[in-house]
Amino acid sequence: MNTLMNMDPWSIFEDMLGGSAFRHMRARAAGRFPPVNVFLDDNAVLIDLELPGKTAKDVDLTLEPQAVVIADKPAPVTDGESGAVAEPARPAWSRRIELPFRVNAEKANAKFKDGILRVELPKAETEGVRKIAIAG
Amino acid sequence: MNEEKYVVPTATFTERPEDYELKVLVPGVAKEEAELKIEHRTLTLKTHAKYQNPAGFKQVAAEFERTNYAISADLPEKADPETLAAKLENGVLTVTIKKRPETQAKRIEIG
Repeated sequence: MNTLMNMDPWSIFEDMLGGSAFRHMRARAAGRFPPVNVFLDDNAVLIDLELPGKTAKDVDLTLEPQAVVIADKPAPVTDGESGAVAEPARPAWSRRIELPFRVNAEKANAKFKDGILRVELPKAETEGVRKIAIAG
Repeated sequence: MNEEKYVVPTATFTERPEDYELKVLVPGVAKEEAELKIEHRTLTLKTHAKYQNPAGFKQVAAEFERTNYAISADLPEKADPETLAAKLENGVLTVTIKKRPETQAKRIEIG
């Protein structure tokens, strides 16, 4: 079961207004993937995920230039006798959230508190306008 | 805004050979924000989280609410309320209650 959800900020708005709240509630009740709250201001994106009982070792966080992927990190399956690690189990869920701006990977941080994972992604500083010298 | 809104949290109640375990999912709730009471044989949990949305941010997705939780459960006959133990960690409340010893099946030696 590998549910990938592509959520760009605009579709989130449409979802909320279009009444797909029921879909989310049912999915949440089915425990298919953790619900998220996303907050935006001019300088950062904050993402909260509801993951009661989980801590840092249970989640994988991957940052792309303009998206973040948060996924379940199941414990590796080992062979009881030899202790060999079998192919890692597939994540039970994965959520990909596209961001409205590029983020600064160095300043990104994430913290678990009481079963809620908060991911903080500051906006990347823009390069600004640069003059290009013309040869000749 | 009405501060007294409560949501019933997800809870599972499991019977094991020697005890019962109640697990309640209360994400975002710290130990100090939860109140667990027992009156006669009714167990009640209420939580009061002082969470505020981050100031100055616009919420663009709202799939869950940081809310107050309340749930109550009657303990089964065999449960001994004196042996109740509770712990709240990572947003999960775990309550264990042992069964009264006289309710356990005992093997009788035949003389």
